[in-house]
Formats: sequence, structure tokens, C-alpha cells
Amino acid sequence: MSLHRRLLLLFALTVLVSVAAVTIIVSAMARRAFDRANDQRTAALVAQFRREFDRKGEGVDRRVEALTTSSEANRMLIAAARPAPDYSNFLDTARTIADAQQLDFLEFADDHGKIISSAQWPAKFGYLEPAAKPSAPATPFLKEEETPAGSALGLFAVRSTSAGEGKLYVIGGVRLDKAFLATFTAPAGMRVMLYENFGRPSGFAPERLLASGPAVQDAGQIAPLIRQVQQNSRESSAVIHWRSGDDEGITAFPLTGADDELLGILLVGSSRQIYVDLRGQIRSAAFVAGAAGLLLAVVLSSWAAARVTRPVEQLARAAQEVAAGNWDAGLAAGSGTDAGPPSKDEITALADSFHRMTRDLLDQRERLVQSERVAAWRELARRLAHELKNPLFPLQLTIENLLRAREHSQQQFDETFHESAATLLSEIANLKNIVSRFSEFSRMPQPHFQPVKLNELAADVAKLHQAQLAQAKIACDLQLAESIDPIAADPDLLHRAVSNLVLNAIEAMPQGGKLTLRSRQNANAGHIEVSDSGKGLTPEECANLFTPYYTNKVYGTGLGLAIVQSIVSDHGGKISVSSEPGCGATFIIELPANREKLQAAQGTHV
Amino acid sequence: LGSLAFAAVRPHYGGTLRIAIKDAPQNLDPAILAEGNSGNIARLIFETLVQLDERGHPQPSLATSWQSEAGGQRWRITLRSGVIFSDGTALDATAAVASLRSANPGWKVMRNGDAVVIETDSPHPDLPAELALLHNSIVRRGGQLSGTGPFTIAQWLAGKHAIFAANDHYWAGRPYLDSVEIDFGKSDRDQAMLLDLGKTDAAEIAPESIHRARAEGRNVLSSEAHELIALVFDRDPQSEDELHARNALAFSIDAAALNNVVLQGGGEPAGALLPNWISGYGFAFAPDAKPEHVREERGQIKHSPSWTLGYDATDPIARVIAERILLNARDAGVTLQLTSAASDLRLVRLNLASSDPHVALNELAQSLRLPAPKFADGSVTELYAAEKSLLQTHRVVPLIHVRSAVALRPIVREWRTLPNGPWQLSNIWLGAEKP
Repeated sequence: MSLHRRLLLLFALTVLVSVAAVTIIVSAMARRAFDRANDQRTAALVAQFRREFDRKGEGVDRRVEALTTSSEANRMLIAAARPAPDYSNFLDTARTIADAQQLDFLEFADDHGKIISSAQWPAKFGYLEPAAKPSAPATPFLKEEETPAGSALGLFAVRSTSAGEGKLYVIGGVRLDKAFLATFTAPAGMRVMLYENFGRPSGFAPERLLASGPAVQDAGQIAPLIRQVQQNSRESSAVIHWRSGDDEGITAFPLTGADDELLGILLVGSSRQIYVDLRGQIRSAAFVAGAAGLLLAVVLSSWAAARVTRPVEQLARAAQEVAAGNWDAGLAAGSGTDAGPPSKDEITALADSFHRMTRDLLDQRERLVQSERVAAWRELARRLAHELKNPLFPLQLTIENLLRAREHSQQQFDETFHESAATLLSEIANLKNIVSRFSEFSRMPQPHFQPVKLNELAADVAKLHQAQLAQAKIACDLQLAESIDPIAADPDLLHRAVSNLVLNAIEAMPQGGKLTLRSRQNANAGHIEVSDSGKGLTPEECANLFTPYYTNKVYGTGLGLAIVQSIVSDHGGKISVSSEPGCGATFIIELPANREKLQAAQGTHV
Repeated sequence: LGSLAFAAVRPHYGGTLRIAIKDAPQNLDPAILAEGNSGNIARLIFETLVQLDERGHPQPSLATSWQSEAGGQRWRITLRSGVIFSDGTALDATAAVASLRSANPGWKVMRNGDAVVIETDSPHPDLPAELALLHNSIVRRGGQLSGTGPFTIAQWLAGKHAIFAANDHYWAGRPYLDSVEIDFGKSDRDQAMLLDLGKTDAAEIAPESIHRARAEGRNVLSSEAHELIALVFDRDPQSEDELHARNALAFSIDAAALNNVVLQGGGEPAGALLPNWISGYGFAFAPDAKPEHVREERGQIKHSPSWTLGYDATDPIARVIAERILLNARDAGVTLQLTSAASDLRLVRLNLASSDPHVALNELAQSLRLPAPKFADGSVTELYAAEKSLLQTHRVVPLIHVRSAVALRPIVREWRTLPNGPWQLSNIWLGAEKP
């Protein structure tokens, strides 16, 4: 990943993390504030419920107390005191009184607890009323009351009156239902619900959930909260995510009866819509800030690229150019950037250092070239001197012999002259040969590319030197690949190069041996290998083998392998050698396929 | 003084009798009216060939005599002469045949000279008593319904008000009253107020109010206990479990408590479909709750059933009775849920259509959609067996037979109520108001 992209990513991440962190913190603070306000409103509503509960209880208590002294109560007391009480006249009494007293529940029971008259269930006469007992609570209490239509939750008071041995219980109450819930003035966004916990103590029945307003849709979603209170009989809270999309925080308070049995659950709901809206706004703002931050990151990263990454990228490109041999690029990169005037920052220092390094390297390279040039001239001079010295010494001796013979007899001179003339001609021919080989090396022709089949070329070379190989007792082994595509090469030059390698191999095996010629091809290049089984080469010899005028032979000019390398190089290929002392040597010529040249050559050839 | 006293008790013509009832009939066609006070009003206009006396024996009315032939499968009825309908046409065999054919599609009714001949598929020993049923009234169906009764329709406001004028051509002689005014659709409370204010001369008294009305010094005439309150299942029991549950429910219901408290003694606990006064064997079907039987039956219930109990929501007494049954059923391990819609069992109130036990039982069976009993000789043994057979279907649980009653102002004289409820108002007359 480029530095530019890294910078962009870094800036973007920094902005996003910052925005996210701010969003989370603000959301958490908003939620905490909302929850605090919600708790206060819930507590106020519960307090209102308790006040209303107490007020209604006191009202019921007062009315029930008054009924104990009513004429109807006295009539019932008198009827109850008879040996065979007849309560038939009181069938409707309780209902009539309940209507007058605005009581939802009213029952009169005798001292055995048997119902004399019931307002909520007139037909219940004669049945036992559990609350009609001496140990009935003295204060109003919650009670589950059976009615023909099912159980109902009521706020009850029990009072008794007696006359003589007769005793009469008056059990009155008001219903805690939707009408009761409607008496609460809940703040906007809040509501009160009541769950009647009858029948299935550990279950949930949606029809038992009463609300002050419209019926609760999807009431089943409250079931877990109800069950929690049923199990623990403690206040519990939950946030309900209604399917309509609204969120509502609901706090549930257990309502217990005289025996601490869980009879009802008061549910105070508070819509979290305000918080949800606020949270949405915070998120929207965060998205906007994030988008702006991302835009800013792009701008900043571009600026940083201009200030930082572009010089670095230029330096990287310059380094690549220098690595490729274009030293001028290094000098240009180090001389300052086009992003602005040079400064004294780290990037500028790096560019200056790179510039100095490139300049030093260039100086060193020039010095090295000069040194190598001097060394080459010295080596050339040494080699020329050496090569020329060998024929010159016989020439000098021959001429000195002629001069000494001239001082002797004519006959001896003549004999010496003829012998010396032959020697002089031979040595002069030798000198010409030396001069022509040097001249030939200096005038190596440029290759004329044609399609060349490496297998045929290798076979031709082996055939050419067949006699020499046989004479030197060298076996020739051709290991040629089955099918090799033609490559573009100069057949004469390439033949000469391979022949040189074969001649070197023959010379390396004076006691005979084995010569191996191999050919192979990969995707873009063809290979010819020439291996001998001679004494091999030392690492030092391998390193200097292709240096012009270097030779390890007594009479070698050191130009043979230099010429081979020159030919291979002119073909765009390369030559290498692998050898170990005592294990022979293998020369490997790798030639590019040169397909474009091959197509051109084929076109020309056709 | 002697002549004044005689004048006070001697019937005299004139005056309007005002009656208030709860029913609000839309018409008075006897073919569709049920027995009850609407039917009683219809009997002012329409008559049957035969009428039953206080002991339930057939007596001549529009027919003067009847003879059975072919073992009770063929009856020859001789019509009274000189009877004319309110539209002025004379009663003859053709009119009687047309009316009876319309009311009884299953009968073969033929004219034979001046007589009417009725043939049935099986012996029908009680056919004369059956001819006394309201729906067998002789009606001429032209543009308007015409009858031969002591009164004719002078004004008719369906469901609200009606005025019947005395039929001057009534075959048994003009009634003493000039007219009868009926106020329909009056509640018990309204009727009591109208009676107290002197705006009506006769008002119905609900069974549960008879005791109190008498205690308040009202002039109350009551019938025998003729209205059956019963639980009726809509189908036969489908399993032994359900059979035991039905038995447990039947044994658990405290009919005595219902009668004593809810109905204030306005009836009699019923163990049979027919009351004892009509069948003579009703005592054999003990009506009391039997806790030990409840326990026994409940012990054999594997899965407690849950049924819906339907009742007439407009009848407050029916509601209280249903609620009491709900409590009793719970004691028996049966869960009931009250409803005024379609239900598994219904609380019904049925008037006995006749004081003839065979006819009454047959009509009850039809009303309860139970198999119709077959009678060959009209004996009590046969009747008992038939009723027992009906009860053993476990489709019906008799609870109470209740009385009907009217409260009359003191000026109303010769108001007669037959044991099974019908009013006989042809001889009624109004006395003088007390100063």
C-alpha cells in the first residue's frame, strides 16, 4: 500500500474514531439524562397511584363502615339471628345498596361467612366469603373477586357489626379497572397499565392487561417483564421495542393482597420516542461530521502528499532509475522538488543525502571506469608486448645469426641466410596473425538475425569438430531437446561462438574425455550448454574467464571467450559458467527468443 | 242496603278493561304465537273447536261434539251452528277445515257435510285436547285475520297498544265489557306503577314477585306452576365422560335454593318435565340436589368439560339462575361460561301448552327438539314411561316449575285463570270503584 493511501487511511480512521467516540459519549450522556428524568416522572406517577389508591381505600372504608349501621344491615342481623334464617328477601339488597353507594363490590355475610346478599354475584347466596372472618384486615386491601364474568381486581374494606349473638360482615370494594386507571393524569408520553395476576400465577394472559387508553397491541411483548415480577415479586424494568417502531421503558410494580399474594402488577410506561429522536439526531449529526471528516481527510492527505509523499515518491522513482542505470535521474531528484522551495525538513535532508550519494556513486563509477580503462590499456599493452615479444626474439636471434654469418664465409652466410629468411618469414607471419586477431576482435560485426534452430546449430558444430574430437579421444554426446522453436540469431556468429566453446573444451581435455552439447528452451529463451570432463576451473578463473586478454593457457590470446561473450551479448543474451575443480566445466548460453525480430526475419526471409 | 249489596255483585255491562303485559307481539296470529300472555290476548279474538276445563278435560267450544273412529285414528267433529266470524261470514266446515289444515300440515282434514273429519297416521287419543291448543284456533285468513271470539280488533298498534271491542254477535252472548285495552311491552316495574296509579286494571306479576305482591296487599291471581325452567343440551352426550359430567351438573343444581331465594317461592323445584299437579307422578322424580351423587359422578369424570351456558339476557331472573348454576357447576367440577349467544346448553323457560298431560308432554318434547313421545291408549303408565324416556336422553335437566300471576284492581270481577295459565275473560265485568 502506498504512503499516500496509508496517510489517507490514517486520516480517515482518525476522523471516524473521533466522531464515533464523540457520538457515543454524547449518546450516553443524553440517555443518562433521559433515564434520570424518566425515573423521576415514573416515581411521581407511582406516588400519584399510591395517593389515589389510599384515597379510594379510605372512601371504600368509610362507606362500608357506614353500611354496618344501615337499616338493611339491621334487617339482615335480625334475619341471621333466627333459628332457620331466611335470606330470600335479600337477594337484590346488596346490589341496590351498592348502586346507591357507588360500590362495585358489596357482600353481606353472616357470622359463618356465608353470603347473605351479593351485589357482584347475586346468585352466590349461601356460599362462603373468605374475607368474612374476624381476622380480616383493618385497612383497605387488594383482593381478587370472583364475578360471573370472571375474576376482577378490587380494593376492598371489611367491617362487621353484631347484635346479640348475631354477627354481620360487610365486604365492599371498588374495582381497579380501566376506569380507575383513567383517573390518573399521566404526563405526555407516559401511561399506566395494570396486569390482573389471576388464574395463572406464572403465566401471562394478554386479556388481563388493562390500559388507561387504547388496548395494548402486541401485549405479549410485556410477558417477560410480567413473568419477572411474578417470580421475584419485586420492581422490575424493561425497554419494550414495539413492532410499531416505538420504544417504551416500562417499570413494573407488584401489587399484593392481604396475604402478600401477588394480585396485580402496576406498569408505568414511558415512551422513549424523545430519546430515540434525539439519538437519531445525534447519529445524523455524527454521519454528517463523519462525512465532512472524510472529506477533510482526503484534502489533508492530498496536502500531505504534496508536502511529504510526493518528494518521497520522486526519490523512490529516482532510486529506481539509478538502479536501472539512469544516474541523471538521481541527480535531478536530489536537486530539490517541484512542490515548492527547498526547506530544511527531513524529506529535504533525505533528498540532499540521496543527491550526494548519487553524485558520489557517479564519481566513483567514473573513477572506476577510468581505472578499468587504464588497467585495460595496461593489460592490452602487456598482452601486446607479450605477444609481440615472442616473435621478436627469434627475429632478433635470426638477424644476429645473419650478421655473424656475414662475418664468416659466404657459403656459411648463404646457408644461414636461407634458414634465417625462412625463420623471419615465419615469425613475421606469426606477427601478422597476432595483429589480425586483435584487429578482428576490435571489428566484431553486428549480428544479422535469421531464424536459427539451436538443435541443428549444435549438431553442425559437433560434426565440424568430429575429426578433432576423434583425434583427441573425446566422445561427443548430443543431448538435444525434442522440439525447440527457432530463435532470432545470426547463425554464423552463433556457430563461431559455440565452436569457440567446443575448441576450449577440447583443449581442456588433453587426455581425452567427454564433450556434451545440450539444448533446451523455456518460455522466452533458448539455451545451449557445452560441458567438458576436464580438470575444471577455480572460482577465480570462473570470475575472470570472460575478461578480454585473460587466459590460463600458455599460448592463448585471452580473446576467445571474450569474443563468445561479445557475440552472446550482441544477441541480447548472456553466458555463464559453472565449474568445480576436477569436475569439468559447463558453459551455458542463454539467448532470448527475440520474437519480434524473429517475425521480422521470417518476413524478410520469405 | 240489600238491593245495593246485590247490585255490587251482580254483573253488569259496560266499561273498558285495561291490561298491561310485558310481551310486545307484532301480530296476533295464533299460528305463530306461543302460549303465554300474548296467547291469552289472542284468545279474546280467536277460539278453538274444543276448550279444556280447569281439570284439563275437553269441553265443547266451536265444536259441539266429537267421536273417534278406527281406534282413534279418525275423528268426526260436529261444528256449532250460528257462529259467525268478525268479518260477518258464518263458521262452516269449509272454514274450519282450511284453518286446521293450515295449522297441521301432517293431518288429513276433510269436510263431511257440516262436520269436520280428521285422520291421523297413528292413534291419536288426545286429539280433542290437542284441538284446544292455541295454534289450532279457527281463523279466517282473508285480508285480515278474523276470529269468532268474544272481542274483535278495534285498534292495533303492533307491539304497543290494542283495543278490542265487544263482539255483539258472539255465539255465547255479548261479553259484559264494552272493550279491552292492552298496553304491550310494559316492564314489571312499569306495570306495577300503572296498577298503583290506577291506569291499568290488570298487570302481570313475575313469579319472584308473587309473594311480595301479596304481602303488599295486592289482589293477585296465580296459576298452578306451569312454566318449566330447564337446562337443555343441544346434542346427545358424545361420551361416557360427558354423560357423567351432565349427571354431575344435574345433581349439583340446588333447585330448592333457586326457587326459595331467586324465585322467592314463586314455583316448585322440578324433577320432571310435567308438574305434579298435571301428571300426578311428579313426586317420583326427586328434584333435590344430591351431593353424594355429585361426588360419585364427578369421580368418574376423566376430563372436566368446559361448556357455554346460554340464557335470555333480557330476563334478569334467567341471569341470576344461570349465575347460580355456574356456581353449582363449579362445585361439580364442570366449568361453565355464560353467554347470550349460541351455546352448548341453554337455560329455557317454556309454558305448558295444555293442561292435558299427554298433549303438554308432546308439545314440550317438540319445543325442546326431543323425540316426540308416542301414545296409544293415553294411560298414565304410558305417560310416565314417555317422560322417563325423555329424561334419560340426558338432553334436558328440569329445574323449576313456576307460576304465572296477575294483579288485579278490586273492580275486576270474574277474572279466571286456568291452571296452566290461560285467561278466561269472556265473563269478566267491572265493578264500581270504591268511593
